[in-house]
Amino acid sequence: MAQTSRTLSRREFFKASGLLAAGALGGPALLGGLRTAQAATETMTPAWDSRFGVCDMCFNKCGLIARVENGVVTKLDPNPKFVKSRGMLCARGNAGISHVYDPDRLKHPLLRKGGRGEGKWQRIPWDEALDMAAQKMDEVREKYLPCGHLFTAGTDMQSLFVERLAEAYGSFNLTSHESLCLVSGSRAFLDTFGEVPFADVLHSKYVIMVGANRFEALVTPDSMDLMTAMREHGCKLVTLDPRYTKTAALSDEWYPIRPGTDMAFMLALAHVIVGEGLYDPQWIEEKTYGMEQLREHVKPYTPGFAAEQCGIPAEDIARIARELAAAAPASMVYPGRRSSDYEDSTQIRRSFAIVNGLLGNWDRPGGLLGARAVGLKGVPYDAPWYDDNHDDRIDAGKVPMMFEHEGSFMVTRDSILADDPYPIRGWFVYKTNPMATAPNRAKTIEMMHKMDFVTVVDIAMSDTAWYADLVLPSQSYLERIDPCSGLQGSSACACVVKRDPVIEPLYESRPLFDIVKGIAGRLDLGEYFDFTIEQFREKQLADLPGADGIMDRDGVYYNPSKVYGIYDGLVYKTLSQKVELYNQRYEQMGIDPLPVYTPPVQPPANQFRLVVGRNALVTQGSTTNNTLLHEFVPTNTLWLNPGPAGKLGIADGDLVEVSSAVGRQAIRAEVTDKIREDTVYMLTGFNTLSTQQRLAHGNGASIAEILDGGYDTVTGNAALHLTFVTVTRKVA
Amino acid sequence: MHRKFMILTAAALVLGMSVSMAFALGGGNGRKGKFLYSKNCRSCHNGGTAADLSPADRTQAEWQATFSDMGKIKCSGDWTLSDEDINDIYTYLYDYAKDSPSPAKCS
Repeated sequence: MAQTSRTLSRREFFKASGLLAAGALGGPALLGGLRTAQAATETMTPAWDSRFGVCDMCFNKCGLIARVENGVVTKLDPNPKFVKSRGMLCARGNAGISHVYDPDRLKHPLLRKGGRGEGKWQRIPWDEALDMAAQKMDEVREKYLPCGHLFTAGTDMQSLFVERLAEAYGSFNLTSHESLCLVSGSRAFLDTFGEVPFADVLHSKYVIMVGANRFEALVTPDSMDLMTAMREHGCKLVTLDPRYTKTAALSDEWYPIRPGTDMAFMLALAHVIVGEGLYDPQWIEEKTYGMEQLREHVKPYTPGFAAEQCGIPAEDIARIARELAAAAPASMVYPGRRSSDYEDSTQIRRSFAIVNGLLGNWDRPGGLLGARAVGLKGVPYDAPWYDDNHDDRIDAGKVPMMFEHEGSFMVTRDSILADDPYPIRGWFVYKTNPMATAPNRAKTIEMMHKMDFVTVVDIAMSDTAWYADLVLPSQSYLERIDPCSGLQGSSACACVVKRDPVIEPLYESRPLFDIVKGIAGRLDLGEYFDFTIEQFREKQLADLPGADGIMDRDGVYYNPSKVYGIYDGLVYKTLSQKVELYNQRYEQMGIDPLPVYTPPVQPPANQFRLVVGRNALVTQGSTTNNTLLHEFVPTNTLWLNPGPAGKLGIADGDLVEVSSAVGRQAIRAEVTDKIREDTVYMLTGFNTLSTQQRLAHGNGASIAEILDGGYDTVTGNAALHLTFVTVTRKVA
Repeated sequence: MHRKFMILTAAALVLGMSVSMAFALGGGNGRKGKFLYSKNCRSCHNGGTAADLSPADRTQAEWQATFSDMGKIKCSGDWTLSDEDINDIYTYLYDYAKDSPSPAKCS
């Protein structure tokens, strides 16, 4: 208690937030509901209403409280009862105001009048817009069968209605953002443990962070909990990254690993752990499958071998393996959630999963946890069947283990360009921007030109919208009612959130739900949308009596479900019903059942490997036009090591041309020793084609224009570290 | 590739068991199976009359075992489905089983 009289140190701040979290978990009586808090302030002349919301500035969905004055949101605060974010709201969350009140927001339906990407638009009324969207979708279906139309939805609480529209319409071709994101990692962990885990970093004693940047690429509660674990519990963090990221800066040890060699490092860890017997034999015997095959497999992958590949000293690799094993089971190789980097990214991530398997950390404090029970029910519907249709997705069978529910954007794009095996000529896109997120923008533009008609529903004129035929303005997360969403918060919580309007919708914007309902009605598919979102939520919450009222009171509902030992007495959801160190299905399918290391191709002389990465103030192309965030990150730069910069005659701040086999862009060089000599880096989301992103258009470089378009051969996930570039000083 | 494997394993299973089935399981149209399942099965399997069933409630081996001896499925006597339809439904349940490469989501 003495701490209250002193300045709050960082340590104490985290301790305090932990207490707050504990209070929220303890129940409403301790802290009181929002109404009570408001009542207490009423004596102090309340000048505003406080309303719960759920952030949408990235995928995390953090709880917030909007301050509303005269119908206008004037401030966004964290919801202190939202344990998943430890009662915090990040800078992007705070900047949500500029997202909602962005003067560049789409204001009314727009119909393309000039050529694609020419930027000539005509304002049309909603009825006309919905008539046209439906009519064009009908024409595509008539000419090319239902599968001749592609549907793409980003991460959003209403995206499930795009899936429903696609299924009612009869198209199997639905892609999510995930195949431009994290499916190879999901694949690897699912195929090892039988489900995709959540990392209990809060209780971990030793974390190896590879291919992840958790203090900049924020994931709740991991970003906060890892800091707490380090500062409060003495957790050791070892980071491998070709860049000196903020995570690297805060780590106990940082190794600027040679890009593409992570698997060699992991197999060497396994070599030491297995070879020196640094595992729990009972756990391995009872819970895992394939230890003997693994033992043989990792023999050649000595720390010395890995050292040559990774550029990390062999003695450090061996020591890290021993330290990691000594801290087990409260230790882990952090699973991460980044996009694929290489064509063997599933296998690279499998090597991460296998080391975790050896640590015996599954379902235990400080290890990897299975999904907790949230209690939300699915809302099934009886989709129609069309005999006159193609047999399968356009991307089916082209990679062996694509996630059926997510698809592969990269494989779909190639297939559409080749009409292989059939033509797709219509595209409906909601709140995702593959033009800016998928590698090789020129190919995405080509895909656009293949289409008879493209409808994009978004809040802003993204580059994808810029190439569409019809652009429909949707609502921000503060203007609409959304279905409930269940969130996994590792050991912090399993919770349910919902969105209700905080302010009246701006301009002529409409929610996606109303738009698909309008289109479906015009296509005689109205029966699939014959409900309101309130009714939909009632069905979702059928097994959680009282949860709706708790969400009204606290902004969130917590299911006090089991955290650890979920698998006690249960089998793993794998073929062997154990943790598959050796994957049986891979063997049956002709995929390496244990990850085999192949050294990455090195950049040719005078070229660099272009790597992607995150900044805590940027959510790709969805925030680069945000006026508040723009003040912090006004442009992107090319990180270039001083060594090669000197040889190329490039000084800090010089304008350079970065060119790859597929594109070129001009950008300012940031000459810094925070990056390896053979690697360059830039942020995503800049230099939009759309002129209606005034802060991002003509500003910096578009990484999507330069990145080449490979993908992970197991899942079809976009592989983003395959591109070599030349960098030359641009003479003005 | 996956489907091929499934046919092989289903065929192996059929060969290895007493021949109580009139047709071989597997290799059906899982997409149509999903439609047929919701049309024919969900009216009871909705958590009301009978348990709410998702493909992800069982493993592939369990679905195989269930459908290998359909006499043990309580409602099978009431089915008016063709063998092809049953195989499509089986394929749907098998393809999205909890240990399948694409386990069904909760909805």
